[in-house]
Amino acid sequence: MSQSTENLIRKLAQDSAPVRPLARSWIRAVGWLTISGIYLAIVVSLMKSHGLPPRWDDARFILEQVSALAVGFGAAVAAFATTVPGHNRGRLAILLIPLAGWLGTVGEGCINRLTQLGPRVLTLEHDLACFPFIALSGTVPAIFMAFMLRRGAPLTPRLTAGLGALAAAGLANFFLRLFHPEDVTLMLLLWHVGGVFVLSALAASAGRYLLNWPSITPASENAAR
Amino acid sequence: MNAQSKLNRIGEISDDDLARLMKIAQAGDTEAYTQLLQEVTVRLRRIVRRYRGFLTDEDIEDLVQDILLSLHSVRATYDPRRPFMPWLLAITRNRLADGARRYARTSAREVNTDCLDVTFVNENANKTSDVFGKEELKNAIDDLPAAQRTAVEMLKLREMSLKEAAAVSGMSIGALKVATHRAMIALRKMLMKTDEPKY
Repeated sequence: MSQSTENLIRKLAQDSAPVRPLARSWIRAVGWLTISGIYLAIVVSLMKSHGLPPRWDDARFILEQVSALAVGFGAAVAAFATTVPGHNRGRLAILLIPLAGWLGTVGEGCINRLTQLGPRVLTLEHDLACFPFIALSGTVPAIFMAFMLRRGAPLTPRLTAGLGALAAAGLANFFLRLFHPEDVTLMLLLWHVGGVFVLSALAASAGRYLLNWPSITPASENAAR
Repeated sequence: MNAQSKLNRIGEISDDDLARLMKIAQAGDTEAYTQLLQEVTVRLRRIVRRYRGFLTDEDIEDLVQDILLSLHSVRATYDPRRPFMPWLLAITRNRLADGARRYARTSAREVNTDCLDVTFVNENANKTSDVFGKEELKNAIDDLPAAQRTAVEMLKLREMSLKEAAAVSGMSIGALKVATHRAMIALRKMLMKTDEPKY
């Protein structure tokens, strides 16, 4: 064994403080969802006076919300799973089910409105506060998510960051719809759903800056080489 | 157990044993962790050599060390209920891919130049052998204080990097730089006394 590798092993062994194995991805996702949910519930309770009450009597609205929440939770599980070496990437495909449910309900609502009211639902007018709300209210859950993701291995930084942002923005959108339960129009599809995907794409493009090996390897350990 | 039998034993233990060692290492057992890293290093060297056979031994060792550092940084992600080798191989594949990207980037930016022996117009200035004899230089280095001698031997004679020299000698990088600087001044003074330069 080469001298420097032998020294490195000695140094690493000396610095090996006890570590607690990370919990399973779904357990970590539940933890993230709980804390982020409490934060967003507080934000929504402060904003509620500016919006409408949720339409719990509308089955399509309930299905849309359940799907959106499932996307947030599923994306969080997938994001955590991608930071565990040796995870089965095929399982990430499960996320497509809630995603299809969410896009399906929103899309179906959009088509219904189009057939009922005609082309005027295609207007570009929309409350522009939605997108900043998703971005701002999703920031705290996203930061918390990034902090948790950095405890894992940055094996697929872009995919991990994209999924993490999808979870945070999806969850923020779920809470936004609680006091913003307007009918689904093309613009709602663009601003809400499109906003979530734009934020995810932005996070994915910055993935390598957020999650990389040098940043999680302490300088002292690098110096041991 | 003598060194040879210990060396023979490395690379023979099963995946279950590696998983058990990792579990104990996660609890902070230094000995188990050392044994695990030694076992893993043998396997890693073999894997890296198989996939990157065109690299020099030094580059292969660099990659192995990269993987060991990565393993150390993310050892909390190992779930003791799962097999060890798939976990290790996922890290290895990822670091090999990173290494390939890094290699492609640096080789695209590097410009190879010829190593010229002559650097000055004055011919004598290019011939250190004419200025100082090997024996004189060796004696002068031997006369240096211990820290300065170590710094010169490691950094100038064995051409180790500052990080390597710091790891081997136990001195800090700053201390090595200072010791080298002082050693150069001291050597210059000593050699000037014994042999006036001819340039």
